[in-house]
Amino acid sequence: MKYSYYPGCSLHTTAKEFDISTKVVMEELGIELKELEDWSCCGGSVAAGVSHDVGMAMAARNVALAQKQNLDLLASCSGCYNKSARAAKALENETEKDRINTILSKMGISVSDYNIRVRNVVDVLVNDLDISSRIKKPLTGLKVACYYGCLLTRPADITGWDSPVIPMSMDKLAQACGAEVVDFRSKTKCCGGPILVSKQEVAFELTKKLLDEAKSLDADCIVLACPLCATNLELRQPDIEKKYNVSYNLPVLYITEIIGLALGIKPGKLGINKHIVSPKSVLAKLGI
Amino acid sequence: MVAKKKFLFGLKADRQIDGDKMNREFSDRVMAEGGEGAAIAACMQCGTCSGGCTNIDRMDMSPRTLILMVQRGEWEKVLKSNSLWLCTTCYICTSRCPRGVRPADVIEAVKAIAIRQGIENDSTRFNQIFVELVQKRGILFEPELMQKYGGLQAMLEQAKLGIQLTLKGKMSPFPAKIKNPKKFNEALEKAGKQ
Ligand code: SF4
Ligand code: SF4
Repeated sequence: MKYSYYPGCSLHTTAKEFDISTKVVMEELGIELKELEDWSCCGGSVAAGVSHDVGMAMAARNVALAQKQNLDLLASCSGCYNKSARAAKALENETEKDRINTILSKMGISVSDYNIRVRNVVDVLVNDLDISSRIKKPLTGLKVACYYGCLLTRPADITGWDSPVIPMSMDKLAQACGAEVVDFRSKTKCCGGPILVSKQEVAFELTKKLLDEAKSLDADCIVLACPLCATNLELRQPDIEKKYNVSYNLPVLYITEIIGLALGIKPGKLGINKHIVSPKSVLAKLGI
Repeated sequence: MVAKKKFLFGLKADRQIDGDKMNREFSDRVMAEGGEGAAIAACMQCGTCSGGCTNIDRMDMSPRTLILMVQRGEWEKVLKSNSLWLCTTCYICTSRCPRGVRPADVIEAVKAIAIRQGIENDSTRFNQIFVELVQKRGILFEPELMQKYGGLQAMLEQAKLGIQLTLKGKMSPFPAKIKNPKKFNEALEKAGKQ
């Protein structure tokens, strides 16, 4: 299987370990990724709230480029995935397609009739592949809290491969890796990502609730698939600790990183050394 | 004075979806903005959206009320509501709505209308700078976003994290860009003005 791979802005910067581990794990599982040539930002959760057409065109541009390569588009970042899938769906509607085409043609790009599917790496890992037969180093004894957030599985008519309310795909993947999955009640509650900058206090409060629950469940780490959630949960963890005078020290890992470890790939090759909240405790528990 | 009739056949009159109180003008505008806010008229005011909303505690108008106000054409109330800027586009409301109303998409469309009407606050400023910077190069350069939005103060506050990220090879001092940012920018600039 071959995909056109869309990393998006975050995977080339703050979420580099997600980029690295996606590539290494997919290669190990025999999936070929071809980086989408000349990709651009999908507009995130913000652009369509400034102008619907601008937001849609930003996301549709990448879909159109993948159409040109005749390949389904694979994104790891939940946000890039969600916005691209939304654009791909809009292109199935004639009116929307015309509006989008008008803008893209001015960039010298045209939408073709070749419909492609937009997939998320979690969807492919859980639904198309069988990782359980490939596990070399089971993550025995590791307690993980799988956090889905908003854009990975919502809304269901855009995503559709896992429940928008009680998703289980990452739980299943983590279990297949031999980890123990805690019953994380807040797994689909929003971390406040899109309002992190403009309404920081609110975002911190929302994120704190997630950290509190994961900690109370005695989780060794949070596992996720969204760089924006990771910004709140990991990069801003020290700020939240300071503001509320608490201490979490809770590692946050991408799902592809823990799968990589279970596949027997060396942590260094997965980019695990790139975290800001050190995942040393996780590796120690696994005896790596 | 006769007290205002609040209930009608067991329904609160102000929550009734009675045709003559509806004002299509605003709904039409929200729909014209695009997206899938088209099912506004189907809202039965059940409140399911509000029940699950991420930020309802802080909002001055619940998503349910906001939909009602859109139906009734209460422009000023909707555009002034802080709910627009507290909404995180988390789609909980949209996933739960039994009538397919898509409140998150309605709010998204209203946000865009509000920005075009000249409403200004920290959120509109951030959102506009974000879009402007993506338009400029096609790829977001986060340090520039922080600097433009929060100025020197924000840069200083973020300096420690910035250094850590740079040391881990996760932040480059130079922005990335697409092949033809000029054409990209022009096309989007025009689309945004329409
Ligand atoms: S859940 Fe849907 S039908 Fe119920 S109040 Fe909200 S928008 Fe209206
Ligand atoms: S999308 Fe907005 S209105 Fe809907 S539940 Fe989330 S925060 Fe509330």
